[in-house]
Amino acid sequence: MSFSLKRARAIFVKDYKEFSRNYAVSIMLIFPIILALLIRGTGQSLPGAFALVLNPSFVLLTSFAQACLIAEEKERNTLRSLMMTPATTMDVLIGKSTLVFVMSAIVLAISTYIFGYEPINKWAFVAAIILSIILYTAAGTICGLFSKTLLEASLSILPVAFVFTGAPWGALLVKDFPIFKVLEYVPSSQLVYLLDTRNIGLTTGELLKPLLIILAWTIVLTIVSVVLYQRRLKDE
Amino acid sequence: MDVIQVEHIRKKFGNKDALIDVTFSIPKGEIFGFLGPSGSGKTTLIKILTAQLNPTSGQAIVFNQPAEMMHQSAQKMRFGILTDNSGLYERLTIEENLELYRQLYDLPKSSIDKVLQFVNLSGERKKKVNRLSKGMRQRVMLACAIIHEPELLFLDEPTSALDPVNSAHIYKGLRYLNENGTTIFLTTHDMAEAELICNRVAILYQGQIQTIGSPKELKKQHRENVVCVDLINGEVHELPINEGTADQIADWMKQGLIDRLETKEPSLGDIFIKITGSELL
Repeated sequence: MSFSLKRARAIFVKDYKEFSRNYAVSIMLIFPIILALLIRGTGQSLPGAFALVLNPSFVLLTSFAQACLIAEEKERNTLRSLMMTPATTMDVLIGKSTLVFVMSAIVLAISTYIFGYEPINKWAFVAAIILSIILYTAAGTICGLFSKTLLEASLSILPVAFVFTGAPWGALLVKDFPIFKVLEYVPSSQLVYLLDTRNIGLTTGELLKPLLIILAWTIVLTIVSVVLYQRRLKDE
Repeated sequence: MDVIQVEHIRKKFGNKDALIDVTFSIPKGEIFGFLGPSGSGKTTLIKILTAQLNPTSGQAIVFNQPAEMMHQSAQKMRFGILTDNSGLYERLTIEENLELYRQLYDLPKSSIDKVLQFVNLSGERKKKVNRLSKGMRQRVMLACAIIHEPELLFLDEPTSALDPVNSAHIYKGLRYLNENGTTIFLTTHDMAEAELICNRVAILYQGQIQTIGSPKELKKQHRENVVCVDLINGEVHELPINEGTADQIADWMKQGLIDRLETKEPSLGDIFIKITGSELL
């Protein structure tokens, strides 16, 4: 599968211009910052409190923005026009995802600073954030590809929000409902686990496990989004 | 050399046949019209030729390769397409939309000026697409489809939203493109449009090609062998073409009685109705 940096950059620049003029979606950029401001009061005392900023932000900024970018292209038939140009699947997906990735990374860095979160293991934290952004971007791509309109895309994010932000809460009930053990393997639960390392102090092996689980989710969702996009190239 | 070869293509959607045993070829440099009413299968064929759909059976060859290969970047550089499914970025200006396509096709900056002149929108380049009329949007979409001066151009109802002045401008442009080597595959339900610009047409009805040929040939094939004579006294005569009629016309001419003389040629629309027994919708 070929990739052209020039074409991906052209799509990135186009998306940046469109996004900056689409206030209904670009307003979501301030959401993580507001959350960080609201929750920082609980700050250091509540274990995993920063996850209350990160997990909803991944859904409401990263996935939502990506789903809207894709769904709007579908609604206005521009995705089909783009598919008819020499841009390959990788050009389009990387071009579109780069904007969401860069935006999410910058806004989450600002939120981390505002919240005052200081990870013990910075590399593990950065790796978890990067993987999570890619993962939620892929989830947004899937939602966007399943939606025909912007409105549908907004609604399609709800299951993602429910599963991914609700999982860490559900995992707390594992003693009463053993089946909820499965929720511990959702990436958002693993992120909570990782963020809490400063309190419980994990070994390298214990740090790797949540990172590998998030990585596995990232790979699976990315593959699904690429396959789904390629299927959308056809009208069958 | 044929740019497109379609051999016994059949396409079924569920139990419904969209295309039945469609066979034709288009040589390089031709403007080929695929005519038929809405829902006759015209767009389905364009989708098959551009690898957006697979045929149920049969084979389509484009640029000497199976049409399924048209999804490759190198092949996409060679054709342009404008269909009902084409779209524009609403929040961007005309120039910004074209800039995207210029970069995707890796073209020089001058290509934007050239194509804007072609679609007569040079003065509007800074206008946002969401402020444009339907006709102007259609012209911008056409500009996006031809900015790379493709070898083969697929046009699906290209002038459906345009007024006669803009349509005439587009026809002129298409002829210019064609003279410079672009083969054009045009679908339309506007028979007058096809008659005006196509070298050859195929009439498609209920998924099947009913007839194929140049507009001139088809008209000749389907014309009524009568001549209409309007005399200056107001009389109108419709006479069969034979020796007796020739003598009669010669007499009237000698007497200076003829106001107008014409053979009764059908339009492509008349031919369509005659062949299919159906009105165009």
